[in-house]
Amino acid sequence: MRLLGFITVVLLGGLLFHLSLDFPDLGDASSPAATHVSPYYIEHTMEDTSVPNIVTAVLADYRGYDTLFETAVIFSAGLACFFLMRISERTAPKARFYRHLPTGLTLRIEKGGKIPEDTREFERIDSVWVPYDVIITMTCRLVVPFIQLFALYVIAHGHHSPGGGFQGGVIFGAAIILYAISNNLRRTLRRMSERMSALFGSVGVIIYGGTGMLCLLLGAGFLDYRGMASLLGVDPVSARSYSILIVETGVGLAVTAVMVWIYYNLSSAGKQDEGL
Amino acid sequence: MTEHLPILQVIIPLLGAPLCLIIRQERLVGVFALLVSTLTFLISCGQLQQVVQNGVQVYELGGWAAPWGIEYRIDYLNSYLLLIVSAMGAIVLVAAQTSIARELARNRRMLFYTAYLLCLTGLIGILSTGDAFNIFVFLEISSLSSYTLIALGSDRRALTASYQYLIMGTIGATFIIIGVGLMYMTTGTLNMYDLAARLPEVHHSRTVLSAIGFFIVGVCLKLALFPLHLWLPNAYAFAPSAATAFLAATSTKVAVYVLIRFVFSVVGAEFMVTVLPLQEIFIVLGVTGVFATSISAIYQLNIKRLFAYSSVAQIGYMIIGMAIGTPLGLSATLLHLFNHALMKAALFLAIGGVVYRIGSAQLSHFAGLGRQMPWTMAAIVAGGLSLIGVPLTVGFVSKWYLVLALLDKGWWPLTVLVLISSLLAVIYVWRIVEWVYFSQPRIIIDEVKDAPLSQLVPIWILVIANVYFGIDTSLTVGISQKAAALLFSVGGTF
Repeated sequence: MRLLGFITVVLLGGLLFHLSLDFPDLGDASSPAATHVSPYYIEHTMEDTSVPNIVTAVLADYRGYDTLFETAVIFSAGLACFFLMRISERTAPKARFYRHLPTGLTLRIEKGGKIPEDTREFERIDSVWVPYDVIITMTCRLVVPFIQLFALYVIAHGHHSPGGGFQGGVIFGAAIILYAISNNLRRTLRRMSERMSALFGSVGVIIYGGTGMLCLLLGAGFLDYRGMASLLGVDPVSARSYSILIVETGVGLAVTAVMVWIYYNLSSAGKQDEGL
Repeated sequence: MTEHLPILQVIIPLLGAPLCLIIRQERLVGVFALLVSTLTFLISCGQLQQVVQNGVQVYELGGWAAPWGIEYRIDYLNSYLLLIVSAMGAIVLVAAQTSIARELARNRRMLFYTAYLLCLTGLIGILSTGDAFNIFVFLEISSLSSYTLIALGSDRRALTASYQYLIMGTIGATFIIIGVGLMYMTTGTLNMYDLAARLPEVHHSRTVLSAIGFFIVGVCLKLALFPLHLWLPNAYAFAPSAATAFLAATSTKVAVYVLIRFVFSVVGAEFMVTVLPLQEIFIVLGVTGVFATSISAIYQLNIKRLFAYSSVAQIGYMIIGMAIGTPLGLSATLLHLFNHALMKAALFLAIGGVVYRIGSAQLSHFAGLGRQMPWTMAAIVAGGLSLIGVPLTVGFVSKWYLVLALLDKGWWPLTVLVLISSLLAVIYVWRIVEWVYFSQPRIIIDEVKDAPLSQLVPIWILVIANVYFGIDTSLTVGISQKAAALLFSVGGTF
């Protein structure tokens, strides 16, 4: 049976290879993909949308509807991860570890023991992972703001250079995850709670879909950004460009939040108590 | 406002899903989700009326014309299926309110509704769109959320069932995207109607042939055609009752729609017969599937699994109808899409009612329940009769048209096989009747009574619909024949 499967796979693989000989050459300017719809985008993007980056215009305007639902796919992925992994029972772990900051001593407190309250003197540390390294923590603390700033730049600059909501959102999410790795999960959760990340994920989708609805309510079609012209106080072509920025912000927000949300659940096996 | 109906239908559940997360109050979320799905249903009614009155509805998204932007094209076929899916989406949610409260932990209920609305969005989106890549995007949303819905089942095996579906579904989706990609490579377009116009020029290139192969195999995985159905029984058996009812009534139907749309509107019906031996493949797989899975259904001990196998068998009938390759055969398939949704929603909701009371779907636990839960059990029997195809039920109507189409083509042996396979349905439905009415309950629990009214009402609405559409067939037969005729007319649908 296994041999049969192997033979089938090899045969079909060979067939696929044979098939790929039929493909148009890579970068062939006369291939159907390069001659049917693409020339329109190349020739008209600037005058249609005043966005210099054609990829961004196709992604967020010509085919912006796909992108709206890609954002929804990301949101569903975050939701699915939460559904499958999150353990809500508040069973206390067997033992908790605390560090007495003035002396550097580590305390192990068994289940049922008295847990120190003063967080200035005692800091909770993870039982399996002790990221107590001044160099790493300090370096990350220095780097994180710059990464976040760069993420904002990538989101905002998608019009002119490679970038946009997805890329910027991933960078921003990565910055928060870096903070979580270099410090610890609980501290990160205090900065950006789980509820907050779920909320931001939803808000991101709502910003994108809401922009579409706003266009509809202002008299244009769904996601027809020309409708936003009167609201933004610009001409219809610039309105497309500005609205792309709005929806990219929504995408960025959703991607950031969902990345962090998934990280929280994966790193702590759903307990969100201890973790990387 | 009527010109915006096609888009509102998708956007309302899409925006409803994240709003559920923001509302957070469990009760409120349930009511809100119900409201959203009811609104979606009303829109689909309005849209069907628009299509009947004014013909095809085209909606250009973002104000960009077709091959450059994405467009929605709603014709008879779409609006008919949209009606089925949104109706099932609303009615299952009525019953879900109580059954979810019993089957899910408190903190997950709100998220159930979020995932449910996302799944509804995905299915409706697939049905509305006229863009091949857009289909894939919506497929991702509906699949991801249905994996989630299945994994929510209280049985731990729900997780493996969901994982199995995840793997198979992802392979299917990958095949579909490879198919779309190859078609884009040879035609340079993603719009389905533009594809239909440009494909004939390149019909015989190897790339197009394999694109079609990938696409069809991918969709067949999604619609659980016989040898590719292995993910389905477990997924249906271990998912929460409300999720099973919704998925059984809608998700495979939507995949069948994609197959029909692709075969008839994009590549063309005669291509199926002349270039590829698709007709033969579909007929053989359909018939084997009907027999193999009906026989498997007879041996099941879990009633949800039993009806899951029966679902695969029903898909076999739909595929046979489609493969006949005549308008009559196709209209039989479309009829069965509607009718099977009615039967399976009624059956799975009724089973959900039993699970609500006794906490199990094992056939042996149904012993003697006929006396204790008369209304719920009567609904299961009525659904079963419809499944067999007893006159005065919808099942009879679809079988009748399928047999007519087969006879019209002169395929006698196949007709006989279809009729014999109906007898297999008699056996598995009879097994249930026997347990329910003619065996002694093993343990007599006094407090077991009928399902709560909030579940009985939707169940019986569906049962009555089963009978009503079995007698007054003007709506269903009328629309499905029109849709089939349009699909066969020159140049696809338009």
